[in-house]
Order: sequence, then structure tokens, then C-alpha cells
Amino acid sequence: MTGIQIVLVTAFVFVALYYFTKLRNRIIDVILLITLVAVAVLFVLFPEITGVIAKKLGVGRGADLVFYTSIVAFWFVVLKLYTKIRKLEQLTTDLIRKQSIENAELNKKTS
Amino acid sequence: MNNASVYIIVPAYNEQEVLNKTISALVTLAYSVVVVDDGSTMNLKEYVKELPVYFLQHQINLGQGAALQTGNQFALKMGAEYIVHFDADGQHQLSDIEKLLQPLIDKECDITLGSRFLNQQEKEVPGGKRAIIHTARYINYMFTGILLSDAHNGLRAMNKKSAGLMVLTENRMSHASEILFLIKKHRLKIKEIPVSILYTNYSKKKGQSIWNSIRILFDLLLHKLFQ
Repeated sequence: MTGIQIVLVTAFVFVALYYFTKLRNRIIDVILLITLVAVAVLFVLFPEITGVIAKKLGVGRGADLVFYTSIVAFWFVVLKLYTKIRKLEQLTTDLIRKQSIENAELNKKTS
Repeated sequence: MNNASVYIIVPAYNEQEVLNKTISALVTLAYSVVVVDDGSTMNLKEYVKELPVYFLQHQINLGQGAALQTGNQFALKMGAEYIVHFDADGQHQLSDIEKLLQPLIDKECDITLGSRFLNQQEKEVPGGKRAIIHTARYINYMFTGILLSDAHNGLRAMNKKSAGLMVLTENRMSHASEILFLIKKHRLKIKEIPVSILYTNYSKKKGQSIWNSIRILFDLLLHKLFQ
């Protein structure tokens, strides 16, 4: 095992363990997580596999294939987070609006 | 018509003496005035406490669109017949309110929008601002198919029916374009009314910068993508 392989595999395992403690309640998340990490570790340990897949797909090198798919995954996550933030923003707005309408005050005429 | 059934929504964020001046003038006309304090960092209540108005307060700053929506909902709950949006910074004229209301009372249309370009006031608008407004007009046209003579003018009036249909989800400044989306969606009848805008140093400072306009455009694009 080369140095970079040790670093990457350790990182993946730690990420997996971290999320495992958070996502325990949903079986589908756990399965997805294990699959993703397993594939990642597999690619790190046997980088030739990515090369073979890349050739089949018409991409020059395995590393390039990983890079391209990472960009797609990155955008997916960004959009997912954005919609989540929008939803939270809407929820906050609704709560604050409700509260402000309930607490509306009518000032008395003083003149 | 009973002026008390006309609700004037005044969104305010960190306005002080000028808020007091604007509101004092509004209450003399016996309209129901709703001040929505959009989470100001200072105590706005101080400036309106002697005036007969409804005072609503957002706990945190949400943006002008959110404040207007809160005002609309509150006014409808109180039984408003007509709702007017009026800026707190003193750039709108009291006399324009009646001009905006008249077509609604005559049942000519559902919403009236103030336009500063219908009465040759164009030359008074500062040059840079004019360019932004004209760009905004055409961007609105591209998005909504409605070409107005003015864009992002805060002065507008609507009847009960259209206020009920207007559910603004854009919290920040892109609500002005969102209103056009909603007009289109619900096939509401609109009419533009010439109004005059007073450009004081204060309102210029509070107005839209180029950077802000870009942000509005961005909000608009995301709104279209994610609605």
C-alpha cells in the first residue's frame, strides 16, 4: 500500500464512521453510505479498475473519470442543499410572520 | 368609500425620523396604517408610538418582500377592502394614493402600479438609476411578458381579491418581479398610474445599487428554477 492509499482509505473510513453515528435511523442511508465508501475504497486500492471503466466510456484516464463524476456529484449536493435552505427560509418566514401577526399592536390615538 | 377599509402597508427597516414623518402624514387621511418593522436593529416603535397605527414586528430581518406579505395577510385578516404598499423613506406622495385607488374603486382593474415614467419625470431620475430601471423593465418583460413603463417602484395598490392571491415567497427585493409573475399567473388586470417620486438624499442612499440589482436578477433566476 502506498502512502496516499493509506491516507485516503483512513479518511473514507472516518467519514463513514462519522456519518454512521448520525444516520443510524434510516436503513437506506446506511446502505447507500456503505456502498459509496466500499466503491471509493475499492477504487483507491485498485486504481486500475477506474482506468478500465474510463476506457469503456471513452475517457482517457481513470483519474479524469473520477474527477468528472465528482463535479456532477458536487453540483447535485449544492442544489440539494440550496432547496433545503429555501425550505428552511420559508419555514422561518412563516413562523416569524405568524408570531408578528398574533402580536400586532394597535397604538391608541393620543391627540 | 370608507378610508379605514384602505390599509396602507409600510415596511420599515431601520428608518427613524423619516418613518415618523411619513406615518404622521398618512394617518391624517384616516387610512388604516400598518407599519411592519422588519427586524430593525433599533427600536422603531419609539418613532410611531404616538400615532394611531398597527405595529407589527418581525423578530429577525427577513426582507422587504416578507414584510409586505406579512402586512397583506394582517390587513386581510382585519377586513381590508383595498391594500396600498407605501415606502417608509418618504419618496412617495400622499396625493398619489387616491390616484392609485380610484381605478380599483371603479372596478377598472385589480392592481394599480405606480410609474414614475408616465408623467415625464424621467429626467429627474439620476442617470445611473435610470439605466438600471430600464434594464430591469426588459428583464421583467422577458420573464413575465408584461412590459411596464417602470420597474421596482414600491408604490402599488390592490383590491381584496388580488391581495388574497398574492402570496409572496421571495423575501428580498425580487418581490417586485414576483408580483408580476403572480399577476400573470392569476390573470389579474393591471393599470399603471403616473406617480411622482421624491429623490431625497436619504431615499437615494436607501435605494437600489447596481450590486443589489444583480442580486435581484440572481434571486429571480433561482425563483424560476425552483418554484
